[in-house]
Amino acid sequence: MSFLRPASSSSKAAFRNTTAIRHYAGKPDTSLGDPKRENLRRALYPSNIRNRPTPVGTWRPDVARALQRAIPSVQAHETIERAWLLHKRHVRKQREAELSRKFEKMREAMDELYKLDSQLYLQANRADDPRAKSAQEMEMAKKLKVSEVRTMDARIPGLFPRELKVPTDTPSRTGWNYDYKPFQRPL
Amino acid sequence: MLSRTLRAATARPFLVRGNASLSSAPPAAGTPAPPPPPASTTTTATTTTTATPPSAKAAKAPEEGDKAEGGRRKRKVWTPRKRPAISALAPREWNRPLAPGVVPAYDYALKYIQRDAAAVAAEAAELEKRVEEKEGEYQVLLKEGGEGVKEGLEKVDAELEGMREKLHVLRVQAEVNLPEVRWKVKNALAERGREAHRHLLEHRWRKDGDLDLLMERIYQMKVVPDLLPVLKPTVDLRVAVPATTPDQFRALAAQGRAGANVLTVEPGVFLDPKNTLSPPMLYADAFHADTRLYTLLMVDPDVPDPERAGYKTYLHWMCPNVELSAARAGRLTGLNGHTAYVPPHPQRGTPYHRYTVLLLPQPPVRGERYSRNLEARAVREGGVSSRRLDIPVVGEGERAGFDVRKFVEEWGLGVEGGAHMFREVWGAATSKVYEEVLKQPEPVFGRPRKEDRYADIRGRKKYVL
Repeated sequence: MSFLRPASSSSKAAFRNTTAIRHYAGKPDTSLGDPKRENLRRALYPSNIRNRPTPVGTWRPDVARALQRAIPSVQAHETIERAWLLHKRHVRKQREAELSRKFEKMREAMDELYKLDSQLYLQANRADDPRAKSAQEMEMAKKLKVSEVRTMDARIPGLFPRELKVPTDTPSRTGWNYDYKPFQRPL
Repeated sequence: MLSRTLRAATARPFLVRGNASLSSAPPAAGTPAPPPPPASTTTTATTTTTATPPSAKAAKAPEEGDKAEGGRRKRKVWTPRKRPAISALAPREWNRPLAPGVVPAYDYALKYIQRDAAAVAAEAAELEKRVEEKEGEYQVLLKEGGEGVKEGLEKVDAELEGMREKLHVLRVQAEVNLPEVRWKVKNALAERGREAHRHLLEHRWRKDGDLDLLMERIYQMKVVPDLLPVLKPTVDLRVAVPATTPDQFRALAAQGRAGANVLTVEPGVFLDPKNTLSPPMLYADAFHADTRLYTLLMVDPDVPDPERAGYKTYLHWMCPNVELSAARAGRLTGLNGHTAYVPPHPQRGTPYHRYTVLLLPQPPVRGERYSRNLEARAVREGGVSSRRLDIPVVGEGERAGFDVRKFVEEWGLGVEGGAHMFREVWGAATSKVYEEVLKQPEPVFGRPRKEDRYADIRGRKKYVL
């Protein structure tokens, strides 16, 4: 058994590539220590090499190719885009017009009320404190536990219900709560 | 392998058909030319429109096929993409880019846009009728005259202005979404009589970079604070000179115009004095329908003034009462009738000179500002909506030391209009200008001699033992 290295490797050793890496001129390892400097450098000098999508999604490299397969004409794409934006504009204008019409009617009604009865006008103009508890709620609060009273306080009347959830792709890890009882805050 | 060779065989021809008709004769009114047949995925790249610049979408698909052919990598030599020869002289008709049924979203979008365009056009026609009636009222009141009528007249005028503004918006909105209109404007087939076409042309000038570049150069070269406090161009002014230096011919060849000898001057670039020995060719695109008068000025703010140890402005060219309108877009002629053109002559030893061409609007015939009423009435009655100015010819002795700010204030010229600017440095042609045109000895400038502070003690013994 010979532990001699094969001849090929020794000859290779003689012709090994000797362009050495100058370790004294390398970049300092920025993963250790304070990342502040590295973050500053990244913020001030962002890379302009287009090899991945921009962080906020303003440019994606795969979109052009997919679009070309779907709609093979630039002019057709622009036409579709314009039609869609036009439709959105119509819907928006209609919504805004309806809203402003309602607002104007409300304003006229309040002006009339002011002329007719100033007391009623003041009452109509008073802003509700969303955190105030009505008499009925005070009655209810006497019978509930402290944590339940806090739950009741947290539900501001008129705000969207807490149960309103964004639909997700996958169910929750805790599973479906079959023992759920809805909590109603009296209006 | 077969698909690759097939793709190579059907590779995009140099001139892409896009969706324009092949014959120059327009088809009968009721029968639009048929769209290209629904193509398979390999050849769908050919159905892109001709007018768009090489986008990533259109250019990427066929390149993949070309590159991998036969395992050899062909080094792509970039040649500028040749635009198809569609223009007002060789017109084509617009066709749908895709056949019906290929992309249902496109069919629906087209129908939606056409329906909306028809509705807006109907609204515009109705408003136009009301505007005509109101204008009739105005004319009647105008004829009456008198003191009591004046207030009523102003009220009607203000109402008319509002109505005309709305009418303009409706007219533009009625056509601006139609792909046919957009294609026409993109392919040099814009009808300058139509408001939507004019709007798209102006929008392109303002938003696609030309105006931005001009303003960038004007601010960077400090033309704005030096010559005038404010400049807000509303006219697309382009300057062209005959090419003279080998670099310029090379640049033209690189653009794909190898045989041409006319160079469109980018604002702010350096020209050779030889380029400007004869008056540069000016092309002005105005976007207003009525004919207005502008004053042309070409000034050099960097002529050295040794007495004041500073610089003064030299007037190279002036021509008042230049008529511009949307219909009259193109080359300006007859500009040498007032203050004759003196070629730029940047003196030797001075830093670069900025030669600025200005087309400033003259005040309106009635009122302080141009309005839609003025525009509409001028178009209807014919004639010009600007005041004709009797500016005296500037003598040879008064060209140097010309005060642009004072001139503009004196004659009431506006901050709008057109502007352009290029730079020049001394060249052999400058001597020619001094010799033949100015008939003066050519000055050479340099820094003043430094006073020798040690002239007294030079040569004297410093150390006495």
